[in-house]
Amino acid sequence: MMDLFALSHTGPEDWRAQAAVFEEIFFVFLVIGTLVGVIVVAYTLYHAYKYRDTGKPDESFEPPILGELPTGDEGPKSRKLFVSFGLSAILVISLVVYSYGLLLYVEQGPTDDIGSDAEHAENMEIQVEGFQFGWNFEYPNGHVEQDTLRVPQGDDRVIRLNVTATDVWHNFGVTELRIKADSIPGQYATTWFIPEEEGTYLIECFELCGLGHSDMDGEIIVMPEDEFDEWYEGTMEDDETDDDTNDEANDGNEDDDGTDEEGDN
Amino acid sequence: MAELPPSTSVRRWLVTTNHKDVGILYMITSLFFLLFGGVLALLIRLQLWVPGDQLMSGLAYNEAVTAHGLIMVFWFLSPFAFGFANYLVPLQIGAEDLAFPRLNALSYWMYVLSGVLLGISFFQGGTMDAGWTLYAPLNVPAYTPSIGSTGAILALAMFVVGVTASTINFLTTIHHSRAEGMGLMDMPMFTWSILATVWMMLFAFAALLGLGLILASDRILGSVYLSATEGGALLWGHLFWFFGHPEVYIVFFPALGVMLEVFQTFSGKRLVGRKWVIIAIVLICIQSFLVWMHHMFLTTINLEVKTLMMATTIGISLPFDLIVFALIYTLAKGRIQFTTPFLFAFGALLLFILGGITGVFLGAIVLDYEFRGTYWVVAHFHYVMFGGATALIGGAYYWFPKITGRMYDEFLGKIHFAVFFISFNIVYFSMFMAWETPRRVFSYNQDFIQIHQFGTIGGFILGFSFFIMFYNFWKSYVSGPIAPDNPWEFSRTAEWAVESPPPLENWEGRPSYASGHLEFLSDDHGHGHAPAATDGGHAHTGNEASDYVLGDKHASHASIWPFAVSFATFVFLLGLSGIRQAMSIGAGASPLDIGVTISNPMYPTLTLLGAVGMLYAGVQWGLEDFYAPPAEIANRWPFDHVEKNKLGMWFFLASDVLVFGAFISAAVFIRIAAGWGTWTPIPDQIFGLINTFVLLTSSFTVILALVFARRQHRTGLVASIGATMLLGLTFMGVKAFEWYEKVYIDGVFIGSVNPDLPYTAVQASVYFVTTGLHGVHVLLGLIVAAFLLVRAYQGHYLEDERPVEYFGLYWHFVDIVWVFLFPLFYLF
Repeated sequence: MMDLFALSHTGPEDWRAQAAVFEEIFFVFLVIGTLVGVIVVAYTLYHAYKYRDTGKPDESFEPPILGELPTGDEGPKSRKLFVSFGLSAILVISLVVYSYGLLLYVEQGPTDDIGSDAEHAENMEIQVEGFQFGWNFEYPNGHVEQDTLRVPQGDDRVIRLNVTATDVWHNFGVTELRIKADSIPGQYATTWFIPEEEGTYLIECFELCGLGHSDMDGEIIVMPEDEFDEWYEGTMEDDETDDDTNDEANDGNEDDDGTDEEGDN
Repeated sequence: MAELPPSTSVRRWLVTTNHKDVGILYMITSLFFLLFGGVLALLIRLQLWVPGDQLMSGLAYNEAVTAHGLIMVFWFLSPFAFGFANYLVPLQIGAEDLAFPRLNALSYWMYVLSGVLLGISFFQGGTMDAGWTLYAPLNVPAYTPSIGSTGAILALAMFVVGVTASTINFLTTIHHSRAEGMGLMDMPMFTWSILATVWMMLFAFAALLGLGLILASDRILGSVYLSATEGGALLWGHLFWFFGHPEVYIVFFPALGVMLEVFQTFSGKRLVGRKWVIIAIVLICIQSFLVWMHHMFLTTINLEVKTLMMATTIGISLPFDLIVFALIYTLAKGRIQFTTPFLFAFGALLLFILGGITGVFLGAIVLDYEFRGTYWVVAHFHYVMFGGATALIGGAYYWFPKITGRMYDEFLGKIHFAVFFISFNIVYFSMFMAWETPRRVFSYNQDFIQIHQFGTIGGFILGFSFFIMFYNFWKSYVSGPIAPDNPWEFSRTAEWAVESPPPLENWEGRPSYASGHLEFLSDDHGHGHAPAATDGGHAHTGNEASDYVLGDKHASHASIWPFAVSFATFVFLLGLSGIRQAMSIGAGASPLDIGVTISNPMYPTLTLLGAVGMLYAGVQWGLEDFYAPPAEIANRWPFDHVEKNKLGMWFFLASDVLVFGAFISAAVFIRIAAGWGTWTPIPDQIFGLINTFVLLTSSFTVILALVFARRQHRTGLVASIGATMLLGLTFMGVKAFEWYEKVYIDGVFIGSVNPDLPYTAVQASVYFVTTGLHGVHVLLGLIVAAFLLVRAYQGHYLEDERPVEYFGLYWHFVDIVWVFLFPLFYLF
C-alpha cells in the first residue's frame, strides 16, 4: 500500500492522485469500522457472559411459556434499542456523506484550468481496449501499443483513460495507482491518474472474461519525460515506415495526432 | 394413491406430498450439494496454493469457480433453509400441510433433477465457466460454446420454475392457513422471516426467470439480446442484479429467522422491539429492490443514478442495524444457555456484524471503485452469507430432536462449533488480508502467498468440520436418547407442543389461538378426536368464520405425478441443451422447403420424449383425485374470503406479470440504448389490430363460459370454451402468417436482418422473442382450454365451476399483456 503522505504535495495544490484519495478514505473507514466492530462485538460478548444461566433461581424471571401468542419485550430495553440504532445510523450516514464529497473529485479528475497551459506539460488521453486476453492502448497520434502503456512522468499532468472492450466484459485495474474502470463492449468508461512517480505498475483484469482471465496482465511504465518524447516520436516514424497509406491519411489531420503540440524537444 | 407407504420404502419418498417428508428431502439433498460445492471450493483453494499453479487448466478453474458459486447460492443455501421452512412453517402457524401439497413435491423434484442436470453439464464439453454472475456477452455461445454451458443455464431455469412453485405455495399457505387467532403480527419470527423471503422471491426470481429465458433464447434460438453492442452487456447487468441483490437477502432471511427464534429460546427472553424488527424486515424487503446498481458502480451509469444507489444502499444498512441491536438487547437480563443451537446462532451474529461493517465500506462509491473485482468483495459476502447461514446450522441442531425424535450429542455439537468458527475466520479473514487479489484468478501478487496458504488450510478444516455434524446426526439418529416433545426450557412456538416427530397430519384437534394461547379444539366436522380445551363448539368471529363446507373425505398425501412431471421436464431440458449443436435447420425459399440435418439424434429425441412426457403427466395430474382440503377455520387477513386456489392463482399471475415486466423492460432498455426514434415497427399494424380484436373477444367468451358454468348450462359452457379456443387458434394463425411474411418475404430473422431493411438484428430479436413468449402463453392456455373442453363435455364444472374461473383469470392476464405489447411493437 502506498505511503499516505508521500504524494500530493508536488503538483498543483488541489490535485491529488486517486491513490491518495483512496488511502485517506480507506484509512478513516478502517479506523472507525474497526472501532465500531470491536465495541459492538465486545458489548455483545459482555452481554452473553453477564447474563449466562448460572442455575440460581430467580423469582422475577418471566420466561415465555409454550403456546403463548408470540409477543415481544416492550419494556425499557426498547429505548436502548433506539439510542443504539440512532447512533449507528448517524455514524454510517456521516461516513458516506464524507466520502461522497471526494467522489465528485474522483469522478472528474483534476480540471485543467490551473495556471496557463505553458506552465505545465500537456495532459494525454489514451483509448484503452480490453480484449481476450490483453490490452490495446491507442495514443493521441494513432499509434497502438499492446499490453504496455508508456506515459511521461509529471506531477502536474493528468492521463485520462477511455476504456472499452472489443469482445466481452473486462475490468481494467491498476492496484498500485488505485484506478479501475469497467471495460464493456459498446460502452466507454473513464478513469484518470497522475503519473507522479517513475516506475512500472501492474495492470490486471478484474472481471472474469474467459480462459486467459488470470493472465491478462499489462503494465504502465511511467518514464522520464524526455525518454518518453523520444519514444513517442519514434512511434510516428515507425508507423510511417510501416504503413504509408495511413500516414498520408494522417497528414491531413495534424491537429489530431499531436505533432503540433510538442513543445519540449 | 392417497395412502402413504411406510417411510422405510423407497416408493414412499417418491410419492410423498407431506410437508415434513418434503422438508427432510430438501435438507438431506441440500447437504449433498454443500459437499459438491465445498469440494469445488477446496479445488479453487488448492489452485491458489502458489500463483500460477496449474492444478486445473484455466478453463476448468473457471468452471470450478462458476459451479461453486451457482451450487452454493442456488442448490445449497436456500434449499437448506427451505427444508426447515417446509417442515416448520405449517407447524408454527397451526396448519396441517402446505396449501398445495403436490406442487410442493413438484418443487422438490424440480430442484433435485435440476441439480442432476447441472452435474451432467460437466460432461457435455464442460459446464458454464462465466462465473455465477454469468456476465454478458461472455455467456453467449460465441464465447462459451460448450453444450454443458447451455445445460447449466437450463438447469438454472428448471430450478427457478421449482422455486416459483414454492413461492406461490408458501405465500398462499401463510396468508390462508394460519390458525384462528393468529394474525400476521402474531406469527413466530421464523415464519415471519420466511414470509418476507417468499415475498422477495416472488419478484426477484421472476426477473431471473425472464433473464434466464433471454439467455436460453440467445443460446438455443439464436437471438442476439446479450451480444448486442446497443447495451446487451449492461442489460444483463441490470436484470441480473435486480434479481441478485434481493437474492442475497432471500438467502439470509431464513437464517435470520432462526437467529430470532434461537436467541429467544435460549435466553428465556422475548424479542426486544419485536414490532420494529418486523417493520425493519418489511422495509428491507422493499428496499432490496432499490439498491441493485451498487453492483455496477464502475459501469457507465451516470453520476446521479450512482449517488441515488449509494444513498439507498446506506439506507438499507439501517434496518439491519436495528435488527442486530434487537438481538443483542434480547440477551440482556436473560438466562442464557450455551447450547449448540445458541452457539451457532450467536456466532452467526458476530460473523454478520463483521460482514455488515465491511459492506458499509463497499457502499462508499470511492472505496468500491477499488474493491471492485477483488477479494474484499469475496470476503464480505462470505461473511454475511455463509456467516449468516451459520445460523441455519444452529437451526439443524435446534430442530433435530423435533424432526428425528432423538437428541443429538451436545458435546460433539460444541466441538463442531469451535472447529467451525475458528476455521471460518481463518479462511475468510485471510481474504481480507489479501484483498487486493483479483477475483477468479490463480496468478496473484507474491506477497500474498502465505496469506492464501493459511486461508486454504483453514478451508480444509472448515470442510472437515461438517463431518463432525454428519457423524453426530447419524449416530444420534440411530442410537441417541429419545427426545421429548419439547427439550427446550423456554421455547414457545407450536411445533414444540406436539410429539417428536409430529404425526402425519400434525394435530389432534384444531389448533387455535383465539383464547390468547394455543389450544386444540375439536370441531363438528369430525376432524379432531378428544377436545383438549374447554368447549368444543367454539364461537366464530367475523373474519375467521369458515369459508368452506367440507365433507368427510380424508386428505391425500401421495401422488406420483410431481415426480413424473419433473422427470419429464428434466428429459426435455436435457434434450434442449444440445439441440442447437445436434441439428441444423436449413430454411429454404418457403416453409415447405426446410432441410433438417440431424447429427446427433439423442438430443432431439430427448426433447420430444420429454415434451410428450410433460403433457401426459400434466394431464394425469389434472385428472387425479387428490384432496388437499383448505383449513376450514383460519385467520386469513388480509385475504379474507379469498378461496385457496384463487389466491394461489393470483400469486402465480403476479409472478408472470413480473416475467413479462422483465421482457418489456429489456425491450425498452435496448431501444433507448439504440436511440428510441431509430426503431420503426417491424410487423404490419393490421395483424396487430386483428389480433387485439380477436383476443379481446376471447376474453369475453371466457367470461361467458363462467356464466354458463354457474348457470349449469353444459351446452353453453362447451360452446364458449370452444369459441375461446377458436379465437385463440385464430390469434396463433394470424401470428403465424405475420411471422411467415417477416421471415420468408422480408428477410427478418431472429438474429439477423436483411441489410436493405431499416431494422437492426437486436430489434428483430426483441420483437420475435417477446411476442413469441406471449404466443407460448397463448399456446399453453389453449392446451389447458382443450383439457377443460373435454371435461366440460363430460359434464364437469357445473357443480364446481372454479377451474373455469381460474382459467379465465389466466386468459385475461394473457390478453392484458397483449394490450401492452401491441403498442410497443406494432404502433410506435
